[in-house]
Amino acid sequence: MSTTIPIGPFHPVLEEPEYITLQVEGETVVSADIELGRIHRGMELLAQEKTFDQDVFLVERICGICSASHSWAATLAMEDIVGITVPDRARYLRTIVHELERLHSHMLWVGLAGHIIGYWTIFMWGWKYREPVLDALEAITGNRNNYAWYCPGGVRRDVPDEVWPPVLKSMDEFAEKTSMLINVILNDPVILGRLKGVGILTKEDAIAYGVLGPTARGSGVDIDVRRDEPYGAYDEVDWDVIVQPDGDCLAVGVVRLLEMIEATKIIKQCIKKLPKGEIRNEVREIPRGEGIGRIEAPRGECFHFIRSNGTNMPERHKMRAPTFLNIPSYRPRVKGETISDATLIFAVIDPCYSCTERIAAIDPGGSKIANGRDLMKLSHQKTEWLRKNL
Amino acid sequence: MSKQVLENLKTKFGDRVDIHEHSPKRAYVAVSNDDWMTVLRHMYEVEGGRLTTATGSDRSTGVELLYHFAFDREGTVVNIRTTLDKPFPKIEALTQYYPAADFIEREIFDFLGVEFVGHPDPRKILSSHDRPADFHPMRRDE
Repeated sequence: MSTTIPIGPFHPVLEEPEYITLQVEGETVVSADIELGRIHRGMELLAQEKTFDQDVFLVERICGICSASHSWAATLAMEDIVGITVPDRARYLRTIVHELERLHSHMLWVGLAGHIIGYWTIFMWGWKYREPVLDALEAITGNRNNYAWYCPGGVRRDVPDEVWPPVLKSMDEFAEKTSMLINVILNDPVILGRLKGVGILTKEDAIAYGVLGPTARGSGVDIDVRRDEPYGAYDEVDWDVIVQPDGDCLAVGVVRLLEMIEATKIIKQCIKKLPKGEIRNEVREIPRGEGIGRIEAPRGECFHFIRSNGTNMPERHKMRAPTFLNIPSYRPRVKGETISDATLIFAVIDPCYSCTERIAAIDPGGSKIANGRDLMKLSHQKTEWLRKNL
Repeated sequence: MSKQVLENLKTKFGDRVDIHEHSPKRAYVAVSNDDWMTVLRHMYEVEGGRLTTATGSDRSTGVELLYHFAFDREGTVVNIRTTLDKPFPKIEALTQYYPAADFIEREIFDFLGVEFVGHPDPRKILSSHDRPADFHPMRRDE
């Protein structure tokens, strides 16, 4: 006889809104159903109400962690329509910020994975080592998150030379500490016992479900947009794509850990090779046309499609975050595993629901769509109220 | 460009596919509703394309579907396009043959009301639980 166990509406550890219905027989999971839609904010509809310049700021707010990824993919899509290239210095500056984002995203997951398996030391260490990366981002862009860094044609601001030596030093320290952490994790029998052979996603399933990023590479699928369709400065620096064949939770973890070392290599090379010169080619208007931008976000390929009708607003802006394709891989992963491993399996793709749910805003009655102008009006009304009453 | 992929499409489907090469890395292929599933299955099963996502949009001509297939070895994207008639757009579901299309087609059903025939799990996915069944937020025909 099977029993139904509801998990949600929040992930027990990640505090991500999701609702999973597990069917179990005894301790063994028979099937899982995933319900989404709890953090849905209407980004695709909003994007049609904003100008191309504002759009970049909007997509940056899809996710606090992938803010560089979405804005870079969106600007690539716009540049694809216009058909322009960006200056060399801008390509390098874009790459540096993007790889720093990968570092802090992966380190955040490593900490949470430690938290999920009850290994608090990993959580404390991981998040402590992540902090200098955020400091480096703040030194370069002025912000810890939502960097306002990318714009069609280049980057928004230049970086003075004195910023780089401390960032280089911080990368050396980060690589050293991460290597230590990797040694601890890969030599700890408790961690290996908890992760090895758990939640296996075979290579065939990974291809059939179309999973992306570390989830795919952990199952032996050798894909990485940075190498397959080089953008930024990735084809001018020396780095490796990390692939692990096993497909279990440990393999995905190892991919993320080793990718951090590769990311520090990319950042250091980019800083050392950083060309001088312009940081932005001016884009006066986006002509009628269709463009695609895709980049390798920390969780996998981030895909943006933009259709312009020649006005200053996109006619359609499709955004697809990697988690959207990674979620369905829960099903083959969790089947036959125990309930105690289910939470870990649900976290192994590093789910990011904010990224995944972003299309249309409707009120509970379903009778009115709040568009950008309505929201702006509400905001103005609130400001007026505050001025009179405070 | 995935020259070979486009050549194969031309050889197999002849005039029934309308190919537009936007750039060396991007191509758009328009097909009729009748050829839709044959072309999609050809892209996945024969050419080994990865369905990266699909864009549905409500245009003056009808509801347009644009399926984006990535070819990772070449670093290219080939997009397959068709337009469905309003007010009740309907087409066969790719999910029957390719599980990756599951959430992608459910999302298009949810926001544009496209009925995917043969979809094993045709529920709404992202919109509010109490959204009226005949209201699709991305449709422009209200």
